[in-house]
Amino acid sequence: MKLINKFAALLIMMYLMNSLAFAQPTTYRARLSEVPVSPQTYRDITGVGEVFTTLNGATLTVSGNFEGMSSAATAAHVHSAPPAMNGPPIGALEPETSASGEVTGELELTAEQVEALRNNELYIVIHSENNPGGELRGWLFFRES
Amino acid sequence: MRTNKMTKSTKIFLTLLSTAGLLASCGEQASQVEETAVVVDTGPRTYTEAQSDAGAEAYTANCATCHGDDLQGTPLGLPLSGEDFMVRWGNQTAGSLVASARTNMPPGGSQTLTDTDYNNIVAHILASNGMIRGSTELTESSNILIAAYVADSAPAPDPQFTPPPPPTGLVVSGTVEDYVAITDEMLRNPDPADWPMIRRNFFAHSYSPLDEINTDNVQDLQLEWVWSMKDGASEPAPLVYDGIIYLINSGNIIQALDARNGELIWEHHTGPANNQDMRNIAIYEDKIIQATTDARLVALDARTGEMVWETIVADRSKGFSNSSGPIVADGKIIQGQAGCGRYIPEACYLTAHDATTGERLWGFDTIAREGEPGGDTWGGLDNLYRAGGETWITGSYDPELRLTYWGTAQQKPWAPPSRNMTINDVGLYTNSTVAVNIDTGELDWYFQHVPAEALDLDEVFERILVDRGDQKLVLSIGKHGILWKNDRVTGEFLGYTETVFQNAFTNIDPDTGLVTYREDIQNAQLNEWIPVCPSSAGGKDWHSMTYHEPTGTIVAPLSQTCLENSAREVALVEGNGGGASSRVFFEMPGSDGNLGKLGAYNVDTLEEVWNFQQRASYHTGTVSTAGNLVFVGDLDRWFRAHDVTTGEVLWEKRLGTSVQGHPIVFAIDGKQYIGVTTALGGTSPRTVPRVIAPEIQHPDNGNALYVFSLPD
Repeated sequence: MKLINKFAALLIMMYLMNSLAFAQPTTYRARLSEVPVSPQTYRDITGVGEVFTTLNGATLTVSGNFEGMSSAATAAHVHSAPPAMNGPPIGALEPETSASGEVTGELELTAEQVEALRNNELYIVIHSENNPGGELRGWLFFRES
Repeated sequence: MRTNKMTKSTKIFLTLLSTAGLLASCGEQASQVEETAVVVDTGPRTYTEAQSDAGAEAYTANCATCHGDDLQGTPLGLPLSGEDFMVRWGNQTAGSLVASARTNMPPGGSQTLTDTDYNNIVAHILASNGMIRGSTELTESSNILIAAYVADSAPAPDPQFTPPPPPTGLVVSGTVEDYVAITDEMLRNPDPADWPMIRRNFFAHSYSPLDEINTDNVQDLQLEWVWSMKDGASEPAPLVYDGIIYLINSGNIIQALDARNGELIWEHHTGPANNQDMRNIAIYEDKIIQATTDARLVALDARTGEMVWETIVADRSKGFSNSSGPIVADGKIIQGQAGCGRYIPEACYLTAHDATTGERLWGFDTIAREGEPGGDTWGGLDNLYRAGGETWITGSYDPELRLTYWGTAQQKPWAPPSRNMTINDVGLYTNSTVAVNIDTGELDWYFQHVPAEALDLDEVFERILVDRGDQKLVLSIGKHGILWKNDRVTGEFLGYTETVFQNAFTNIDPDTGLVTYREDIQNAQLNEWIPVCPSSAGGKDWHSMTYHEPTGTIVAPLSQTCLENSAREVALVEGNGGGASSRVFFEMPGSDGNLGKLGAYNVDTLEEVWNFQQRASYHTGTVSTAGNLVFVGDLDRWFRAHDVTTGEVLWEKRLGTSVQGHPIVFAIDGKQYIGVTTALGGTSPRTVPRVIAPEIQHPDNGNALYVFSLPD
């Protein structure tokens, strides 16, 4: 029984990878806006941005920009969680180390992560010196070409 | 100094209460205050100079943004000084104020504020109100009434500027000529030229049959006149009857204006002169009926503005208040209630009053007590700790069924662990539609939309009554942004649609409407951050939606923000309660930063017909007309007309400050007018966008009524 399950899983995996290999590149977009704020913090958590990602096979190429953060960016990540929920990072991006700049990166996604992307369950976080837990955040949504 | 006599200042405070009419109505309460005053004056007043000095710094860092540097309040927070503060807190203990601050403030929570900081902040508040210091430190266990801290002699006034006391009573006299008493029949079938109640008719349609202004000519709309209003928090819903506009201003000021030119006829200040939001007044026969912010009902002569009668609906010192006015159904003034969040013996109720005298006819408790039907849904809590269930938005009325329909607010505190309950303790009749018989005050049916509400998302807003063929429907949208459709004869659930993204529920049963909360919400513990959409600003909030009968379409002003909520601990102690959560807010994913959404929905299919989205949040109700137009205003000062069939913007005008309130449509001598107010305040639908979209700026004054028409 276990062997049959493993074989079925292998078939599904091969199907998914095959689908990815022949799929057309798809584009997703995220509007970056402030992480949750309150009347006490909204002046210290600032900025806005826009990120486009292209999925080609299992390769996710990320390119975007941000501006107006309270301090220089220190790191950026792609996280996995449904819209408005918090989830773990699945890969690192490279932001310019300034309050305004560009963010780029390339990630190889697992089949599970590709599925998450298609379900709007990946999001991007840019961290800054003043807000090491994250200052800007945005979920990736499919973008009509 | 100790004395066994009542101090002069305490006498002043008791006089203040008496003036407000509180002692006259609540003999038990009066004796309690008087007795306590004697005890208090023989005991220590407990806060020190060191505490108030330290508290000043903590206050500036954590409280001043919302409550103001001078504690006078801002559109984000209530005053913490003056008469408003004393009426609200005077007969509470200093310790209970410390407990309330720690339970509810600051709204976003704090990682740094300690118990000592909270003690110090309250000491600063007491000191700023000129209250006497003591020899020992203030703590949460301080059991001395705040009234007892009032200084024996008031501080000397500033020799250069002493603000005059606010005017009271009828301050501008005049007469509405040829006034004809408005009858029940006239309210049931309003003249097309009139807008005689909030949302215009008993069915809450916010629809005008006037069509002189229509999709073909609305681009020619121009300003006819403007009337500046009292600045402050306000969500006005003006009335129009026979060419006269009856207008409620911030600070409980009622005016009668000639609708043709904005000329003032009379003005009455019913008090208190505060800065609390209020929505609507009512008109019946020859009276204008107002629910004041301090929970009184007042009837003014519609001709002259003179006081006819006033009565107390609830005890303001217990936290009760009004933020909406009544509906008058067959001679009965039916009034809801706000401010039921404290743990007190009193219930939260709807009341009916005789329109001629103000006499209370019946009351309907929105919270089921022990031993009553539904009383076993509160987790076995003592009646004292059953809070919430406010009816803070005016209901609607079906004269044939003789039923009045109201939404009820959620349980308080906001989250089950804060209220010492579980997600299974549904708490009847909170977050429900209640259909109440206007003759008896008895509950005919109820439908609880969101049992055991867990995130400050109440389902309290207006109920739109719609007839489609043989179907008699009631439709509503609460803060979850779900458009609910029920049979208004039986309450039977008939369908729903989600108007904005929501992730509070993993399932809504299509047959029963029963919601299933997300598992982490079901199991949330104290101090655990729970993200959810929409936020407490509501997928929809107090801004009423319109029903455009010719197209069978509801057009709703919606909002797209989310929050993270963390429940705080609340001790089961009399006087406690409140909201008791820390909250932080963010843009709704997928909204592309558009906080405002105008959504149109077919009432038969509940399918979305069109939507229009924009960055600025909407701050007026929607009104529609037979000219196939929908009017709505926003935070960014725009007032717009949309095509009701497509959503296309056909006309827009930028006004003095944020466009807020309930637009009106009326006619004089066959000429059609559109009126809308600009205003500040507006509670969470403003405070949330203010932190998420701070780039949207508007003047912090400029309350006004604007009236538009076509060129002659």
